[in-house]
Amino acid sequence: MRISVDFSICADHGQCAIAAPDIFRMDDDGHLVFEEFPDEALRSAAEDAADACPEQAITVID
Amino acid sequence: MTSSALTPPGQSRVDPALVNSAPYFDIADPDFRIKSEQVYAARDRCWYARTNYGLAVLRYDEMSRLLKHPRLRQGSAAWPAHNGVTEGPFAAWWASWVLNKEGEEHHRLRRLMNPAFSPRLIGGLVPRFQALANELIDGFREPGRAEFMSEFAAPYAARVIAIMLGLPEAEWPVIAAESAAIGLAMGITLRTELPRIEEALANLYGYADDLIAARRRHPREDFVTELVKARDEDDKLSDDELRDGLVLLIFGGFDTTRNQLGLAMETFLDHPDQWRLLAERPDLGGRAVEEVMRVNPTVTWVTREALADFTFEGLDIAAGTTVHLFSQSAGTDPRAFGPGGLDTGGLDTGSLDTGSLDTGSLDTGGLDTGSFDITAERKPHYGFGGGAHHCLGHFVARSDMSEALPLLARRLVAPRLDGEPAWLPDSGNTGPVTLPIAFSPAP
Repeated sequence: MRISVDFSICADHGQCAIAAPDIFRMDDDGHLVFEEFPDEALRSAAEDAADACPEQAITVID
Repeated sequence: MTSSALTPPGQSRVDPALVNSAPYFDIADPDFRIKSEQVYAARDRCWYARTNYGLAVLRYDEMSRLLKHPRLRQGSAAWPAHNGVTEGPFAAWWASWVLNKEGEEHHRLRRLMNPAFSPRLIGGLVPRFQALANELIDGFREPGRAEFMSEFAAPYAARVIAIMLGLPEAEWPVIAAESAAIGLAMGITLRTELPRIEEALANLYGYADDLIAARRRHPREDFVTELVKARDEDDKLSDDELRDGLVLLIFGGFDTTRNQLGLAMETFLDHPDQWRLLAERPDLGGRAVEEVMRVNPTVTWVTREALADFTFEGLDIAAGTTVHLFSQSAGTDPRAFGPGGLDTGGLDTGSLDTGSLDTGSLDTGGLDTGSFDITAERKPHYGFGGGAHHCLGHFVARSDMSEALPLLARRLVAPRLDGEPAWLPDSGNTGPVTLPIAFSPAP
């Protein structure tokens, strides 16, 4: 599983970091950082994060 | 349900340290207009203004950063207490809102509630939204004329909620009336209106309890079942949390959608070329919603409160300061949206030069809303708030409005005002109370 974030539309709302804190987090400046190749066990959390993103900037690539 | 949509004005007084040369607004003055040349002139001078409540943030970039700032919390948690309401069903319900919680307590509720609002689940409702819009237009009392709010915006918004929750659509007037009653809680008469508010709350709790019990007995492929089943490992929503959340959804989803549809119609009345374009290009429905919410959002400000003293762009902000982020001012900021952010745009010639600015006929309308262009690629607007408290129901709102608007554009040709509209106050959550229109009907 690979995670892709379109930073041209990411607005740093942080909803992904709420949905899947093991993959996404906000750094001290409030910007998104994430694990590009998370463990397969986190797939459902990753999909929840992609769904929850208000800007729909996250893609879960198989 | 945006953070902002449900936010009454803050209450703390301005920090005397924040003196001097910044612009000042008395936002409690009934004559103050949030969409006004006064605000735009202030925005040219300074990114913020001082107000009798605290600070108003006027520009896009600063609003964008402060919406998500870790030193600010959502600003309405203390509203009932400020009005002397510290116990009873209303105070308890308010405290239960996911909007009024912070940190892990907030995140837990959000994680459990988000999946029911996912775009995948909502996509399946699109044919019903279209059928509903057509049914309402078919049912207008007169061909070629309508009171848009009572004949379209209110029943559409309320019946979308009924569709989502699986309630009988015929009961939409109850949803509308009880939501409006609860809306009284956002105003300064909260305390005197409390008996009516708590009666409405009890009524909606009854609906919610029945729904939860029914879906537990007989699960369906629907929104309420999804919420009832929601789990995060071993954690799940309690019956009280489900009930509080459903009532928040009803309240937060009805008034905002109703108002935003009315504001969309108001904007398009001023931009007939764009209305014609939308009729020809229904695929622009989604863009039309975004563009309307950028220049004419129902949620005219988002309230935040400083958790601690901090400095932002050289300004010292004291703990407890109320910060109102002015969505409409930020959404039309020329720094973010180009010199046309407020000028008459090149595309639209039908409206901005008609002198509507000077007639004063529309309380919040008639103002130059900038280069309104439903084909433009724009930065995100903050009509749904932003950050941790970003509107939970935005996919629903986006989806139902982006179906309604192109359908209206096709069937209501050349709409125009047909009488004097009535308006809610233009600060906080705004919109038309009534909006009489005339048009050429099309099948």
